[in-house]
Order: sequence, then C-alpha cells, then structure tokens
Amino acid sequence: MSFFEVIPAGTKIDFIGRRKISASISALVLLVGIVAVFTRGVHYGIDFAGGTEMQVLFTAESGADEGAIRSVCNACGVKDASVVRYGETDQAEFLIRFRMDDAGERAAAVASADCPLTEADRASLAEAAAAGGGAGDVGEKGELVDRLALALTNAVGPLEVERVEYVGPRVGAELRRDGLYAMGIASLLILAYIAFRFSTRFAPGAVLALVHDVSVTAGVFVIFGMEFDLRVLAALLAILGYSLNDTIIIYDRIRENMELRTKHDLVEVLNQSVNQTLARTILTSGTTMVAVMALLLVGGEVIRPFAIAMAIGIVVGTYSSIFIAAPTLLFLETRLKSGESSGKARK
Amino acid sequence: MTNLRLRIGLVVALVGIFAFLSLANLVPEKTRVASPLLPDSGLRLGLDLQGGIHWVLGVKLSAAVEHELEFLGGNLQAAAESGDFVVGDVDVEGDTLVIQAPSKADEASIREWAGNSDVLREVTGSEGELRFQLTAAWSQEVDRRAMAQVLEVLRRRIDDPVRGIPDSVVTRQGEDRILVQIPGGQIDRSRARKILEVTGFLEFKLVKNAAPSEELLLNQYDGKLPDDTEVVYERDKETQRVVTAYLVADTADLTGDYLTDARVGFDRQQRPIVEFQFNTNGGAIFSELTGEHVGDRLAIILDKQVYSAPNIRSRIGTRGQIEGRFTMQEAADLAVVLRAGSLSVPVVIEEERTVGPALGADSIERGIEASALGLLAIVIFSVAYYRLSGIYASVALVANLLLLMGLMSLFEATLTLPGFAGLVLTVGMAVDANVIIFERIREELRAAKAPRAAIHTGFNKALWTILDANITTLFTALVLFEYGTGPIKGFAVTLSIGVITSVFAALVVTRLMFEIYPGGRHIDRLSI
Repeated sequence: MSFFEVIPAGTKIDFIGRRKISASISALVLLVGIVAVFTRGVHYGIDFAGGTEMQVLFTAESGADEGAIRSVCNACGVKDASVVRYGETDQAEFLIRFRMDDAGERAAAVASADCPLTEADRASLAEAAAAGGGAGDVGEKGELVDRLALALTNAVGPLEVERVEYVGPRVGAELRRDGLYAMGIASLLILAYIAFRFSTRFAPGAVLALVHDVSVTAGVFVIFGMEFDLRVLAALLAILGYSLNDTIIIYDRIRENMELRTKHDLVEVLNQSVNQTLARTILTSGTTMVAVMALLLVGGEVIRPFAIAMAIGIVVGTYSSIFIAAPTLLFLETRLKSGESSGKARK
Repeated sequence: MTNLRLRIGLVVALVGIFAFLSLANLVPEKTRVASPLLPDSGLRLGLDLQGGIHWVLGVKLSAAVEHELEFLGGNLQAAAESGDFVVGDVDVEGDTLVIQAPSKADEASIREWAGNSDVLREVTGSEGELRFQLTAAWSQEVDRRAMAQVLEVLRRRIDDPVRGIPDSVVTRQGEDRILVQIPGGQIDRSRARKILEVTGFLEFKLVKNAAPSEELLLNQYDGKLPDDTEVVYERDKETQRVVTAYLVADTADLTGDYLTDARVGFDRQQRPIVEFQFNTNGGAIFSELTGEHVGDRLAIILDKQVYSAPNIRSRIGTRGQIEGRFTMQEAADLAVVLRAGSLSVPVVIEEERTVGPALGADSIERGIEASALGLLAIVIFSVAYYRLSGIYASVALVANLLLLMGLMSLFEATLTLPGFAGLVLTVGMAVDANVIIFERIREELRAAKAPRAAIHTGFNKALWTILDANITTLFTALVLFEYGTGPIKGFAVTLSIGVITSVFAALVVTRLMFEIYPGGRHIDRLSI
C-alpha cells in the first residue's frame, strides 16, 4: 500500500549520533541569550515596563512621518518618545510610546510653551486636568495623551487615536510578578503530570525539553531585541503546553519499542523510535505552524508578537523532542544505570 | 447497526444544536432575545473587538486612613475640651496620628482616651509626643468602607437612570482597584474621565473677602492668611485664568452630602444651570445660613474650584442652583456627579486599554480572515495528504469549530482578538490528533494489517498520546485564564474549550465516520 508521505517509511536517520552537535547548538543559543539578558537587557513592552502607548492613524494626505511626530513630542515635553510606523505601509499609522512616571517631568511637559496648541486647546486641556479630582497624576496622565493628540492634529494633520494603553508602574510590576507565577505554576502542573504519566527514567528528559523550549524561545526574543509583553507570555505558556506533544509521541513509541524487545541496544531503539514517529512529529508541528502562519500573515499587528513567539516555539519544540528529549534518556540510562537493567516503563 | 444509528443520531443532534447556537450569533442580540425560537445567550465581544474604554482605577485607600485619623483627632480635641485635660498640636503623618502632650497627666488621659476608642494602638513616640495608628482590624474596616463607598458612587455615576451608559461594568478588582469597562464608542475618553475621576465634593462657604488675584487679596492681610482660612479661585472658563480669588473659611458651612437631587435647569437667558435640592437637615442648615447672612456672598465650590459666588438676597430653603456658564452636556454630567455623591477618597487610573470602534471592527475582520485562512489551509493539506480520511478529518474540524463556538455562546464567553488566535491555534492543534491517529493506522497497514484492524489499533494506540498532549495544553490554558486579564483571558477561554472539543471531535466524530465507512465492510484499500 502506498501513501502520500513527507517522510518515507523506513527512513533511518542517525539522530542520536548527532546528539553532541545538537546539544552544543542549544547550549550556544542559551548562552548567547543569557549574555544578551545581561548586556542588552530584556526589552519589555509596556505591559511589563509600564508606560503609555498611543496608536494613531493620520489621513493619507497628511504625509505624516516619524520625524514630524517625534519633533511634536519633543516640543510638548514628552521626551524619549518612541515613534514607529505600524500596520500596513500604505497607511500613515504610527505607534507612539513614552514613559513618564516622574510627576515633575509630567508637570514640565504640561507647562511646555513650545507645544503647538491653540488657546482653545489649552483651555479645554486645563479644564480636563482640573477635573482630575485633586490627584494630580490622574489628570496629567490622561492629559499627555489628549495633549499630544491635539498638538499632532495642529502640526501634522488630522488624526484618529485608535488605541490608548497605559500601564502604571505598580501594575507593570505586578504583571511581571504574576507572569512569573503563571509560568511557575504551569510548569509545576506539567511536572506533576509528567511524574504521574511517565516513569522516573522518562520524566527528566521531558522536563529538560520543556525548559529548553521555553528558555530558547525567550532567548531568541532577547537576542533579537524583540519586545516581551503579555502576548509573548501567553505564547510562552501555550508553548509550554504544546511542546510536550511531540515529546510524548516519541516517548510513547520508545516505551512501546522497549517493551517489544527485551534485549536491546538503546541507541538503536531510540533512533528507531524517532524515525518511526518522524512523520507525525513533523506533520503535527507542520499543521500547527500552518495555522500560526495564517495568524502571522493576516492576523494583524496586535497578534503578530504572539504568532512569532508561537512559530519559534513550535520549531524549537519539535527540535527538542528529537534532539534533547531522546538523547537525555540515553544519557541517564548509560550514566546512571545501576542494578536495574530493563525496568519497565509505567503505563 | 442500530447502535451505530443511535450514535450517529446523537452526534448529529449534538453538533446540530451547537451549530444552531453558533450561527445564532449572526443575528443581532436584540432580535435574538425577542425571538422565542432563537437562543438568548450568545458570544460576547471583548472591548478590543467592539471598541471601548477599559480602565483599572486604583483607590487611594491611604487617604481613607488619613481621613479617619483626622476625624479621631477632632474627637480627641472635643474630648479634651469636655474633659479636664489639654492636648497640644494634633497632626496626621501618613498612617500615624501624632499628638503633642503638654504634661505626663495629659499623656495618661490621652492614652486612656485612645484605649477607650478601641480602634487605636500606640506606636513608639518621643518625649511629650504620642503616636497612634489604627488597629489592623479597624484599618481593614476603614479600607472596606472606602472601597464600598467609591464603588457605589462610581456605579451610580455610570448607571444613572437618566444619563447612564448602557452595558458598562464597574466591579471591584483585588484589594484596592476598580475595573471600569465602557463598551463601544458611547463616550469619549475625556468626558468619561470628567465623569469618573472627578471627586464631586460640593461645598458652600461664606465669602470673607474677594479680590481679582491672590496677591491683591493677601496684600490686605500683610501677605499672611488669617487663621482657619483658605483661598479658592474662580477661573475663566475659556482661558482657565484666575478671575477672582476668594478668602473663605477652611471648613465648609454646608456640603453636598445633604443633597437629595440635582438636575439640569435653565436661567432667565435660557443658559443651562444645575438645580439642586437639600434634604430636610441640609435645608435647615441652608435656611439658617442664608437667613443670617442676607447681603453676603456665598461661594459654591466644587473640588476646590469656585463655580459661582452669588449674593444672598433672602433666606433660601431647600433649593439652590449652580451657574457656571455650562454647556448642556457639562451641566448634565455635573448633575449626574452631584446626584451620585462625592468620592470619599481619590481614584487614579492605573491601567488603561482603550480601543476605538474602527480599530475593533478591523480586528474582527482580521480575526475572521486568519481563522478562515488557517482552516482552509489545513483542510487542503488534510484532503491532499490523507484523501478520504482527510475529508473525515476536515468534517471533524468543522464540527469542532461549531462545538467550540456553540459552547462559548452557551456560556456567554467573551471573544477577544487573542481569542481568535486561540481559535486558529485550536484548528491547528485539532488536526494534530487526526494526524497521530492516521499515521498510526498507516503504520499498521504497512505491517500488512487488514484496514479494519488497522483502524481499530490506530485509534486505540493513539488515544493516550492524544489525551496526554491535550491535557498539558489544558493546564497551561487554565493557568493563563486564572492569571490573564482582558484580551489574554479571551485567548485562554478559546484555547481551553477548544482543547476539549478537539479531543471530542477526533475521538468521537472522526471515529464515527470510519465506522460508517468502511465500518464492517471488508475493503482492500483504505483511502488514508
């Protein structure tokens, strides 16, 4: 019987024999990632760092560009604002970000006389600020957004504020902390599940593969200076759950093959198991990748960071099931083998 | 055979019901609720899709503790006057009440007073200075009351029967936060801020003196304010410049706490004003105050800003009005704020996620496009790769999506843009289960097993692999649901429901199709 196959049946690739190369690659990526964390730092998005983000859409005729917007921000006392073009290139859509936690700086920005505002603009802003019930930072925070919107309208052209996100310093710190908790709790749950489902000889490899996937994905984000925010965290958690799938497929097969043969050369069993399941390992990741690509291509800017993290995680997860999880088993069996020779896997 | 028919019937009925629930979402909610045939429940759209304001307001509970300490300090001074002891300066420093005691005997009396109050505990002070803080229990009670009060006032401002904002949400979040969600483009940000953030503290104070600026006013007192007074300003509405500085007492003669109603009215020139009404107690105080001070000016002060300072022409009872050259909307919003009462402690926006309606509509479009593209690509792959079995997988995939949307509609779950991502991911992962089964069946076929036996073994051997893979994903989705906020929560919702429905689709729906064909027939070739 013949099938349409990506991986022909009977494929024999010596995956396990290449374990040293693969281990070196993973170690290298992790090392570069760790170095990047210390030298360049993690590029947190506003969810974790705190700050204000405005997505503005100018009319096409306005001819708005980053420089013009940035100079308006500077004139209005909003220093170090990051201005980037956003979304489709045929639209004059921009993302403006700034972080001004210092009350003095904000007050100076509000007092700035260079800001291209009319008398009427200033009056309406002052009135809105006065409404902010005595708690100064309230009125001023909102006011900077309104103020920039008015100033940009005057100096650059008509615009629409499509989205405003603000994360205060306290909330940012909490989201960072909760994010770590979430990763921790999810990892613990999965660890408990692995311990329950696999014998002690299989569990360490699965755990290592899991830690590998999340750290390498996060590492790639840090190395390329990509922004780390809630969406990326959600993707990392999804990877945590998903990347185990391929490992489970391979481990189940290894377990089965070990039961079939009483006397076996472990390297051969591992290679055989990986090769036997190669088609489904690649196909399952492939179909999920197809879905993620659909998100990447048409899902829009908001979804993009999530889709990128997922795509990296899927590739890394497939790689680790073959090159990390299976070799770890070999390592543990050969190094730590004591009296027990063929302890059967729990089922 | 009858058993198979029964199962086909059950699955078709189940998928049919959920398909009906999913498709009912295409009908507008009002029509749905009005119709006896259509389900009332349906998908909710997250604020990132329908547009709207999402605010997390931090409540400054420290201010509530300060107010409480100030109140207790006042009590102490009253107790000292009626008792026979003396207290020096009484100050509030953050969460501590600092009392100067002139003598040891006074210290003892103050300690006794504090002990009797039952709500204060002494902390280390210094010579001649006693320090007290609220007891843990009372401090919690003060916080609880302040939260309840702020929540109540904000709810009244948003749910006002006349000018309320439909479908908006005001709920408590954690210890000291309030979540405000206002869907759709019903209100712009700056107006929402004016309604929600404004303290709304209305005071009436007799004017002791007035001048065009603070400088000119203070010149009359050699540059120093008389005791127990403060300066408040009336500003020009257009330029916000100070028009008049008033010298008034630092405590109000009457506050907005006594208001029972406030509404928009018009003055003789048909300009909008806000008319208010006091309750009986407030009316009595107001009547006495105005009766004794005919000819004087009375400043009407909202959040330290003077709105007007009319001359008192005659005794006024329970009714009054505020003139401030309002627009119609400003007058109406102010009436709402006055009716709802003032916030006992200030609120601060700590987190904001506001999306314009246009961007929301665009996101819905993109979410649907991404889902459709993902589904299409995977169906093409499945059918090209697995032929008839691929068609089975595709049917199961569509059933899976209908079950997912139907369940979400039934639970009135919220769909967000990341929720669409969860949907697309579910589509990608749902087909994984079929891949695992089909690859196993192919393997059995290669080992020269008969198609029927191969199908049987394929499903059985793949069962645990599929369950393992999906249970771990469910774990992370649940953790994300617990931790995530807003849009991210929407991702967790679709992902967790999607995991469950995709397992059902693969293990029940796909399997059923194999039982229909080839079923019990002897076939030589299986299209897989």
